Amino acid sequence: METTLVSLAHGFAIAFQPDNLGYAFLGCLIGTLVGVLPGIGPLAGISILLPVTFGLNATQAVIMLAGIYYGSQYGGSTTSILMRIPGEASSVMTCIDGNAMARKGRAGAALCIAAVGSFIAGTFGVIMLTLVAPPLATLALRFGPPEYTALLVLGLIFLAYMSSSSLVRTLLMACLGIAIGLIGIDNMTGHFRFSFDLAELGDGIGIVPVAVGLFGLGEILSTPSHKIAGEVIAPKLRELLPTRKEWREAAGPIARGSGLGFIVGIIPGSAHVISSFLSYALERKISKHPEQFGKGAVAGVAGPESANNSASTGAFVPMLSLGIPTGPITAVLIGALMIHGVSAGPQLVNERPEIFWGFVASMYVGNLMLLLLNLPLVSVFVAVLRIPYVYLYPLIIMFCIVGVYEVNNSIVDVWIMLIMGVLGFALRKFNFDPAPLVLGLVIAPLFEQSLRQSLVMSNGNYFIFMNRPIAAVLLGICVLLLSLSAMSFFTKRRDWRAKLAEAEAGETTP
Amino acid sequence: MNVRADHIAGATFVIFGLTIIALSGDLPFGQLSMPGSGFLPMIVSVLTILFGLMLFVTAGESPRFSELSWGDDKHALLVTVITAIAVALYNYLGFVITMAAMMIALLVVIERRNPLRAAAYSLFIVFLTYGIFQYLLNTPLPASPFSY
Repeated sequence: METTLVSLAHGFAIAFQPDNLGYAFLGCLIGTLVGVLPGIGPLAGISILLPVTFGLNATQAVIMLAGIYYGSQYGGSTTSILMRIPGEASSVMTCIDGNAMARKGRAGAALCIAAVGSFIAGTFGVIMLTLVAPPLATLALRFGPPEYTALLVLGLIFLAYMSSSSLVRTLLMACLGIAIGLIGIDNMTGHFRFSFDLAELGDGIGIVPVAVGLFGLGEILSTPSHKIAGEVIAPKLRELLPTRKEWREAAGPIARGSGLGFIVGIIPGSAHVISSFLSYALERKISKHPEQFGKGAVAGVAGPESANNSASTGAFVPMLSLGIPTGPITAVLIGALMIHGVSAGPQLVNERPEIFWGFVASMYVGNLMLLLLNLPLVSVFVAVLRIPYVYLYPLIIMFCIVGVYEVNNSIVDVWIMLIMGVLGFALRKFNFDPAPLVLGLVIAPLFEQSLRQSLVMSNGNYFIFMNRPIAAVLLGICVLLLSLSAMSFFTKRRDWRAKLAEAEAGETTP
Repeated sequence: MNVRADHIAGATFVIFGLTIIALSGDLPFGQLSMPGSGFLPMIVSVLTILFGLMLFVTAGESPRFSELSWGDDKHALLVTVITAIAVALYNYLGFVITMAAMMIALLVVIERRNPLRAAAYSLFIVFLTYGIFQYLLNTPLPASPFSY
């Protein structure tokens, strides 16, 4: 514990350096804008802005990119409350009661509760990250190839199980992602795979063109400009403070949302989306007045907003301590670290403590910045929301092209982005969620290497995964999750995932 | 037989899996004790075919293919074509000319905005971005034949 505190103090010394503070602020501001604007999520935002960090060192880059991520969780609530359009996916649940509060003239109070809840949950998440990540990283040093193989399989199965679309659909997307990840030179034998004699494909397909294509351009292609229109309810500054009764009603949901969100955040999947849904369902279940939900219940704003912020911090635990992405956003962040020559995982905590602790400390500061940023600047964000979407999407396409091109100065990457955009459009038409594809793409090299190394170690004996206790437990959980999925498929039971899918479908269609 | 959306999707994934198998024909599979570069592609393609078949078989619950909404396809097609032209010209005409032309085209051709307003907005945004990247971030953008 003492070591942790000393390391954290060292992290604060790094985070309080003026330039690092500046990049944290910039990340939070951009993240809030990314969250506020419908049609551009944190994944596309981070991917597009990746080249902006090339001139920075690894610590500054990860501070800024993470700021965009958790900043977008704050910003998403503004659009949900004022327009009933989720600025980003995790704000779906906030639309329901947040907008109902706004229509009752309590927009300012809803925004304040969302911001304070986000701050408390975000800070709670960082405290837990501080406590959990270092011991987990030490444990991960004991992991060999079989454990990593089992962990990656578990990650995919968890993602498929938690997904609001079906298990088969999610696994198909993951397979597609792994297949794309196999393009390029095989690191173990030097064979060129599926590169069609294109030298540019020798290094494989990067995560940035795929992520920007699927989530940036793909989203624009799927969103006709006439569909993004809505009335913006402008709150008055003097109405920002909630009443004492509203504070009392928010306290419990914020506390429960923080705890629930962090736990869900550690689990692979679109954690921030699922956590806000689970928190909403929990609050409605335990409320003495469930009939108020949907009509402006304070708990319906406080719980989900706290949960999604805590989850976004929880997602950093496996990313930083194990080097395993729990979702597409952490996958892109791992990619960003790799571009800066840093590998996420146990080595990061032990060998590059200045990056790990600087990053953790910057999150404490970033959460405070976001609280100070979101409330006073609410009128600015309202003004941003009034910019017609028709003027925004050409700008986003321009940044997609520039962002992808600047990573490798490669026009082939931009063509890949365009192809992925069209693929993303087609996948949405057929009700596929492209997020597992990005995850599959990122884990493909690590998965292949650890699987093949495991088989080489055991002389081709698959029982190596059963003989090693950690790997066996992880695979046991996989079997359990698959059995649960199969059970709900055969009994046709409408579980929480089906309800989440309905909620997403209902709220994302304006 | 009513063709459902998942019939099309499932069949597409089966074909995709078969294509991976066909394309990885010259890659060595190796042995279990020493897997080659064709090992994982084979596993992935078999799983893709399997899941594709499962999707095909359970397609009855999905909407009919003819009922899928295609109202946004014209918008998507136009955006794709204009973006593709911009990508093709990007390295030749540079950032400023290509991006300004692309934004004007998107605003005027697709969104039917006033050409003068569209041009003013596009040029402002493009020059602002150029300035930020070139001078603030020190990240040069592709130059045009006129060297800006």
